[in-house]
Amino acid sequence: MNLAVYRVILRTQLSPARLLVLAGLSGVAILLAFIARAADDTVEVATQTIANFGINIFAAFIALSLGSAALGNLVEDRTLVYLWLRPVSRHSIATAAMAAVLTVVAPILVVVMTVAAVVTGVDDLVAATAVATALAVFAYSGIFLALGLRFKRSLLIGLGYIAIWELLMSRLGDWFARLSIRSYPMSILSDATDVSMRLADRSTLASYIVPLAVGVAGLLYTSWRLNRTEID
Amino acid sequence: MSTQAGPPPMVQAAGASKWFGDLVAVSDVSFSIGAGVTALLGPNGAGKSTMLRMMCGLARPSNGSVTVLGKDPRSDVSVLGRIGMAPQQESLLDHLSGREFVELAAQLHHLQCPGDAARQAIQTVELDPDDTRRLSTYSKGMRQRIKLAQAIVHDPLVIALDEPLTGLDPRQRREMIELFHRLGSEGKCVIVSSHVLDEVERFGSRVLVMAQGRLAAEGDFREIRNLMDDRPLRISIRTDQPRELAIALLDRGVISGCRLENTDLVVVDTTDPAAFRRAVAPVARDRNVSLLELRPLDDDLESVFRYLVTQ
Repeated sequence: MNLAVYRVILRTQLSPARLLVLAGLSGVAILLAFIARAADDTVEVATQTIANFGINIFAAFIALSLGSAALGNLVEDRTLVYLWLRPVSRHSIATAAMAAVLTVVAPILVVVMTVAAVVTGVDDLVAATAVATALAVFAYSGIFLALGLRFKRSLLIGLGYIAIWELLMSRLGDWFARLSIRSYPMSILSDATDVSMRLADRSTLASYIVPLAVGVAGLLYTSWRLNRTEID
Repeated sequence: MSTQAGPPPMVQAAGASKWFGDLVAVSDVSFSIGAGVTALLGPNGAGKSTMLRMMCGLARPSNGSVTVLGKDPRSDVSVLGRIGMAPQQESLLDHLSGREFVELAAQLHHLQCPGDAARQAIQTVELDPDDTRRLSTYSKGMRQRIKLAQAIVHDPLVIALDEPLTGLDPRQRREMIELFHRLGSEGKCVIVSSHVLDEVERFGSRVLVMAQGRLAAEGDFREIRNLMDDRPLRISIRTDQPRELAIALLDRGVISGCRLENTDLVVVDTTDPAAFRRAVAPVARDRNVSLLELRPLDDDLESVFRYLVTQ
């Protein structure tokens, strides 16, 4: 990883507007956790809340917002040339970008969602939430980092992917669900609390391996793409 | 295209072409460039930027090859350490200060003291290395200069500058051109693109002229300038007696043809614009003809380059 590239991309990630949105969503997550705590069937409602709000929406959209922008913004404003035109390996640029995204996204999401899990009062949910969120963030960050480099309107395409594939198509059957990232961290939550959820029936091993593999695949594609792409 | 004798070329293009779908940006261009300042001249859209991008490995030739210091800059990342480039676009990493921007380049080139190197490069382009303002606040001229600073911070052997004088005032232009010459005299290969003929005249004697994606001419600037001056020129003359004036100019032998366009307008062709310019006013005075307007119809740079392409 190239530290200079990491620092530059990290600084682009930390815009006041983004931090404000993150703070707002964090507040909503905690609020929903309090609501879940007050529910009659706390375990089920809390698990569903963490899965549906935390993994499916919070993690996916935050990772999209920051992941797609990490290299995507440099491509869009034609400043990638200032990183690319140097004797540094393309893989180190991709790794630095991924690390910058994870530096911002992972602590915020994992901490906020874990705090939300604590607030629900369901002890079995706390560790599972931390792990599931971290894996989801890693997988989504890898995908959206690559998406930002590949497509000009990556934010729009990413929104389409989340809405159409992750949230709708994945419900069409087991085969579709296997290709949906969210089904894996949801399975971790389901295993921890024994709450049955649609899509959450992946094996324990797959629940851990697949999100990691997806994140790494996104990173490798980004490296490959940086090598192949023509810089404007 | 001729190859310079002596040391091996620092930049070499061999039948390089680049197309984007149906659009041919560069077509079968071959040249060799050594140390010193070389101007890459051509109108907008001639393929200069694409050529420079291929030289720096930012774009891959669709056909043929472009090598820098004997290596393919596209596949060999190490050669990028010997290349400095200031791209044409104005956009910079605006959240950084000028110093941070140049220091980033120095760090990515693995310099031992990136801070010192950045300071020196910024001073070379006559900016203040202690200026902590973000690049987003920089004027166009300052942005051009900071781009140049990041291009030279690692003391590269090959420096590609895409329209580097745009936005600079006359004094800054003069100083930048002096800097290009200084770098060239230090044995570096400085390639400067421009679409401004008069600007290129001051860069140096070696010129590559591109037009419509092709290499239209190459060599000494004065020879090319003479070729440009020798081309036929069509001039529109508004006058109260167009027929009489045209006959007189034909008699004088300074025009090769004419066409009456209106009761007060004649269009003439000349193969000797300099002689025409000298003769037209005395001829009009002698015949008591009023000259109301003289307007070259094809004196724009595009037509100059079109002419060169046909030569």
